[in-house]
Order: sequence, then C-alpha cells, then structure tokens
Amino acid sequence: MPVNETVGDLNLDEYKYDFITTSEPVFRAQKGLSEEVVRQISAHKDEPEWMLDFRLKALKVYESKPMPKWGGDLDGLEAVLDEIYFYVRPQDQMERSWDDVPDEIKNTFEKLGIPEAERKVLAGVGAQYESEMVYHSLREEWQKQGVIFDSIEDGLKNHPELFREHFGTIIPTGDNKFSAMNSAVWSGGSFVYVPKGVSLDTPLQAYFRVNQERMGQFERTLIIIDEGAQAHYIEGCTAPVYSTESFHSGVIEIIVKDNARFRYTTIQNWSNNMYNLVTQRAIVGAGGHMEWLDGNLGSKLTMKYPSCYLMGEGAHGEILSIAYSGDGQHQDTGGKVVHVAPYTTSSIVSKSISKGTGRSTYRGLCKVHEGAHHARSNVECDALLINDTSRTDTYPYIEIEESDASVGHEASVSKIGEEQLFYLTSRGIRADEAMAMIVRGFIEPIAKQLPLEYAVELNRLIEMEMEGSVG
Amino acid sequence: MSDSTTDALSAVAVDRLSLGEPQWLREQRAHAWDVYERTPMPTTRLEQWRYTDLAKTLDLSALTLSESQPAQDDPTTWPERLRVAMDEDHAASGHIVFIDGRVVHSDLDPSLVAKGVILMSLHEALDQHSHLLREHLTTTVPAEDGKFEALNAALWADGIFLYVPKGTQLDLPVRVTRWLSESGTAYFSRVLIVAESHSRISYVDEVLSDDFSSQTFTSTAVEVVARDGSQVQYVAVQRLGTNAFYQSVQRTLAHRDSKLDTLNVGLGASVSRVDLNAKLIGPGANSDMLGLYFGDASQHFDFNTSQDHLEPNTGSDLLYKGALDGDSRAVFRGIIRVHPGAQKTDAYQTCRTLLLSPGARVDSLPNLEIEADDVKCSHGATVGQLDAEAKFYLMSRGLDRVQAERLVVLGFLGEVMSRLPLGGVVDKVTRAIEEKLAQHG
Repeated sequence: MPVNETVGDLNLDEYKYDFITTSEPVFRAQKGLSEEVVRQISAHKDEPEWMLDFRLKALKVYESKPMPKWGGDLDGLEAVLDEIYFYVRPQDQMERSWDDVPDEIKNTFEKLGIPEAERKVLAGVGAQYESEMVYHSLREEWQKQGVIFDSIEDGLKNHPELFREHFGTIIPTGDNKFSAMNSAVWSGGSFVYVPKGVSLDTPLQAYFRVNQERMGQFERTLIIIDEGAQAHYIEGCTAPVYSTESFHSGVIEIIVKDNARFRYTTIQNWSNNMYNLVTQRAIVGAGGHMEWLDGNLGSKLTMKYPSCYLMGEGAHGEILSIAYSGDGQHQDTGGKVVHVAPYTTSSIVSKSISKGTGRSTYRGLCKVHEGAHHARSNVECDALLINDTSRTDTYPYIEIEESDASVGHEASVSKIGEEQLFYLTSRGIRADEAMAMIVRGFIEPIAKQLPLEYAVELNRLIEMEMEGSVG
Repeated sequence: MSDSTTDALSAVAVDRLSLGEPQWLREQRAHAWDVYERTPMPTTRLEQWRYTDLAKTLDLSALTLSESQPAQDDPTTWPERLRVAMDEDHAASGHIVFIDGRVVHSDLDPSLVAKGVILMSLHEALDQHSHLLREHLTTTVPAEDGKFEALNAALWADGIFLYVPKGTQLDLPVRVTRWLSESGTAYFSRVLIVAESHSRISYVDEVLSDDFSSQTFTSTAVEVVARDGSQVQYVAVQRLGTNAFYQSVQRTLAHRDSKLDTLNVGLGASVSRVDLNAKLIGPGANSDMLGLYFGDASQHFDFNTSQDHLEPNTGSDLLYKGALDGDSRAVFRGIIRVHPGAQKTDAYQTCRTLLLSPGARVDSLPNLEIEADDVKCSHGATVGQLDAEAKFYLMSRGLDRVQAERLVVLGFLGEVMSRLPLGGVVDKVTRAIEEKLAQHG
C-alpha cells in the first residue's frame, strides 16, 4: 500500500491561531538586546535596585556564554535576535476584570476561549500579551485561603520577601545561555504560592500570546507549593504566523515542599517560525510529588527538558512528554530526573511523532547521586515515523553513582504498521481515519492525563494532520 | 597532559619505524603524524570523551617506545601465563604470538596455506603481499578519525594480516595471544582482516600481562572487512594487569549479505577504552555486537560503540553486559544511526550493568538517530543489583556467599556467551571470567 507517498500533502496551513489583532503597544523598546533595553525594562517595572543589578549581571553572563553547539540548529538565531523586540508593553496596567482589558486584546483571548474556560473550570487565570500579563484573577475562595496567583511583577511588589528568598535559586542565572538571557530581560509570567495544606481542586491557568511581529517573549514563573499543599498549573502558548521568526524563552522555577503535590501542564502550540527555548525545573521535598506534562506541537525549534530534582526522601518525579514535529519543525525535548535522596522514584514517558521533514529528538538525563539508595527510575521513549523524510533521535544520559538503585531505560522507533492499517481499512474505516486512530492510540497514555479541553484539542489536531494523509 | 608530543613519541620515532619501508607506507606514517600533531587531545568537553578524562588517566609524555630485541620463537623461553593461555588453544587453524609488541611466532594449517589463506605479521606481509596491504591498510581506520587513530597509524610497530580467499571456510578459529611485560612502554599495533566473498573465519585475540609498576599503554587499530556473503567473527579478550591503559579502535565493514560479529571481553587493565564502529554497507548485511566486562578495584571501562546502517535490509544487534565491584566504573555510549534510505533496518542495542558494591558507578548513553521510517529500532539500558533471590536460593543449597555471588554473576554474563556461535571461544572466555572472579573473591 503506497501509504507514505501521499502523506506529504498535509495541510499545515490550518493553524487556527493564525489571526492578528491590531493593537498599538504603549511602549516598545528598541530592537535587539542591550544594557539600555535592560534598564528600560527595569524602569518600566519600577523595580527595586537589587533586581536591576540582577538583570545587569545576567546580561553579562549571557554575553559571556557561547551559543550551545548541541540540540537544534541555532545557526540563524543570532541574526533573529538582532531583529526582535525584547520588550513590548501592550497596556499601562494589569487588569483584574476582563471588562477592563482593552477590546483589541480582549478579543484575542475571547477567540482563544480563555474567559469562557475561566468561568467553567478554572481556579484562576492569567493572560500574557506580548511582554506583560494583561489580566490576572483568582477566585475569591482561594484568595481567602491565602493562595497567591499574581503576575510575577506583582509577586515582586507585594511579596518581596517570599519572592527574593526563592527567585533565581532553582535555575541560577548561569545555568545556560538562555536562562541568563531570560534573567536579564524577563517580563511577565506568574507568581504562585499555595499555603500549607491547601488543595486547589481546579487548575490555575496562564495563557501566553505573542501578537506582534518580531517579538521576543521572556516570561518568568515562580511557583511555591508549601508543605502538604496541592495544585495544578496549565500553560498554553500561541502566536500568529508571520514571515519573520520570533523567539520565546521562559524560565520556570518550582518548589514543591515536603508532601506537597504539583502538576505543571504545558501545551505549546506556537506558530511554526518560533524559536522556543525554555528552562523548567522543580525541586521536590520529602514525600513530595511533581509531575510535568509537556506537550510540544508548535514552534520551529523547541529545546525544553523539564526537570525534577528529588531532594527529599521518598520524593517522586514524573515527566510525560509528547511531541509532534511536522514539516520543518524540530522538537528537541525530553526530561531530566536527578535523584539526590534515598527512596526517590521517577518515571519519564516520552512519545513523539515525526511527519514530513519533521524531526523529534528525545534528550534526557537520569542521574542517581551517591547516597540516593533505593532510588528507582524508569524511562520509556517511543517514536513514530510517518514519512521516509522524517527523523527521530534518542539521547538519554544515565549516570548512576549509587549501587543500590534500579534504573531502566527503553526506547523504540517504528512506523505505522501496514498490518494495523490493513486491518482497520478491511473493517471499512477510511485510511486517513485509520491513520488518525493509530496515532491517537499511540499517544493515548499521555492524552488521557490531559485536562479534557486539551485532550479534545490534541485529538482534533491529529485528525487534522492525518486528513488526506493516505491516498 | 599538557604536551602531546614527547621525546619518545615523536617524528623521529616515526622516521625510525619507516626505515626500509615502501614509499607509500612512509608517506602514510608521515601524514598520520601530521594529523596527530594537528589534532587536539580529546577532553571531557567532547561528547565521546565525556566520562573518561585523559588529562587524569593518561600521561603520554612519560611513555617510551619498546627498544628491546624481539623475543625468540621458542615457547620454552616464553612467560608461563602466556604458555598456559596458548595450551588452552590447541584447536586452531593458526596461531600468532605477540611478545612486547612484536610478532614472534606465526603458524597456519598447511592445507589453508595451500588454499591461499594468509596469516602473518604485517612486516612479513609487507614483503610478500604489499599490494594487498596498500589497498587496505588504514582505509577502514584512517588517521583522520581521531587523535589515537592518527597516533597508531604513525607509530605502529607490528601487526597481523589475515586474508581469507573467496569461498574458503576455516572450521577452527585463528588464535592470537599477546604478552606485554615492559612497564612504562607504549605499544602500537594493527590488525587487518579481509574476508573475501563467501568465506568464513573466526578470529580470537587475547592480550595478557602481569601488573605494571608504572603506566603502560597499548593501542590497537583493528580493521575488518567482510565481503559479500562472508561470515566473520572477531573476538578480543583483554586481561591486562593494573597500570595498563588499553585503547582499541575497531571498525568493521559488512558488505552485502555478510555476517560480521564482534565480541569484546574486558577483564583487566586500569583504564580500558574501546571504540567500536560497525558499518553495514551492503544490503542484507548483519552484525551482532557482543560485550561483557567485569571490573573491580578502581578499574575504568569505557565502551564507545556505533552501528551505522547505510543500506536497506540490514540488521545489527548489540548486547553489552557488565558487573562492577569495588570502586570500578563503566561507561557505555552507543549509537544506532539509520541513514536515509536504509529502509527495513532492524537495529537493537541493549546494555545491562550490575552494581555489586557501593563504590561502583556506571554511565550509560544508548542513543538513536533514525532517518528512515520503515525500520525497527529499539534500545534498552538497565542498572541494578545482584538478584538477591537467586543468591539466597544458592546459599540455601549450601553454597557460601562468595560462591553464590560468583555463580549469579556468571549466569548474568552467560547470556552474552550463549549468543556466541563458536564453542571454543565460549570455553576460553568462561575460563577467563572464572579466573578473574576467583582472584577477586
């Protein structure tokens, strides 16, 4: 059956977030990155002196670090960075009510369905437009219990001690070139604190939208889940498709204290000319439980490896990663688990689909430090290839310094089985439907962990991608 | 190591080795030395050397080249351990004995000589089969491949040439036994194996030594070519003493429908680095790549393997298993590369490690790079402890703890040996492991 010859004609133009809102920013820094831009950002945010110093130091670190030689193709990035705007301020102040958000911006989020979702299922919503959070709200019942869900800027203003105690401690400025860049120019993102013993039973959601052409977005998020508390945070990202490349580089720091539970879900659906280079890390205390659910569907190149540092006895870390790479896309994703304490457990499950000239890379680390006895870790990576021009790679690092540890890693690569296709079509199912069914089955273990609306979204995307893929 | 050019390992030494050699070889050595000088010493910043720090583990400047006269071709003058290893090897098509870097003995079944099989030192082969050497030498492991490849191509003092003509099948293996004795010496040798179409050969290369008083370096470059439909088995058994640095580069080329299998057994040396690359360059070619190692004290093993699938319908299956005791450490870095167009590839890679003591550690990096879609590829890596239940069972049957552990380790490693088709090799390897376990217990 000539399945693969015809899979190429997929309609990737159906990117449904490709609409542009005409809104004039109130301020836009000059193009490119310079000390002046950093000072402007800090001044606009009316920051304390220590934060300006922090930014300026970070800029030096950024300039001193070479571009990474591994991962995706970053050759064209320097030229892109010279042309983008590192800071675009869409409105003067952040709003607490949708009614106060300027119409043009509100329309954007209406189209994305955010206010509707907030009314229905969410405990709190934050929305970032260009460089700033334009909206942030938290249901009153949670406010009363001491939960903080703010923009990162308000976190710094209103909770300076808590902020300063933790900011930059999980991902130090010099961790990598892009964490240094983010530390210099960060703007927007969330500050979350869930007090001891408080369980949020519905998710908090942040939505990131880049609207302007040649725009760089650098959100910074700091989340502290205190002892015994529970929460779930969801992040979604989209941008319209421009002819020029854009850039997104976030830094997400998470502290899960003893016996707390936290899940961080990302569904990244950036337009296909976005560089998306993100550093995400959680440290987990004794008996704590951290889950990353990481979906990468959009962008031109994503490099993102959510990590769990299991610092306390019995801590658990979990990473579920799903990547879809279509024509011209490279998803270089995976996860890291670092076992520092005894009886810690972790699991990484990664599923990727590469189609057309798409390339999916799993890159991961499982490290067991000496003394982390009875640590257990399991890593599974499965890759599905749709065309003969598709590519997949697997680069796991397994570093074991403790003899009393048990670690397993498995990876497999396959194409859609012709037998499976034949069976389904013999039952009267159209070939492209059959293809979509098989792909859905492949990602099912991860899709079923997603909140309903995202699972539906993912299914819709796969159906769309597989439509007309079989002759 | 600050200075990679030393008094002993120098352009002068290259010139001295070149004396009396044909022009093409003199040029080859000179070129290799050039490449060596131009190539920086690998550091841990290089992905392939991430876990073996040469700055801390190898001091080339302290080494000298062997100046002694080749030993005599007289077994009664050979060290006892060498003779014992030889005595275990009666059943063979031919033998080569290496002492301190030079071939001192070679023999080959006369009926095979009559069929055109060649087994001799590289020096002899230069006299008698210069055209074959010129065609093959350093084509599979060229100097350009890296610092050590270049150093070896410039400074090799001796080596082995094995040539099996079309359709010739050897029922018994060719056995090579090497003995090293001079502390502080750097040894460089090459192996060139060419199996013509539809031939069959098994080659077993064992290197032994006592403990050295100072660092002793041995470098081997192995080139194996299996032509259409041939079957080749290459086995390397490393049983060097402490203070030895064992460095071996092995490249295999498997042509259409050939079967080219390798086994690396690592038991000795303080530091052992094996770079093994299997290239499947003809449709239907297949390579099994087996490895096993047992480390104790502060031994360091580094296996760096790659499986390159360049044509359709090729297969490769790698299984490396090791047990680590004391403060020993192992690194396994393996990659399967399925190149564009190599459809219907089946490629597998498994590495399993047992950590027997709190000081042992392992780093595993099993990688995949897949650029064709109609393939079956997988890899698996596990790290764990001795099976406590199996040990308990054996002890309940009256074995003491040491015996029980030894048996469980042997059973764990035995899976690798069970995949070796040749009986004689299994005995040899089993004996070598048992000996190591006995010393160890």
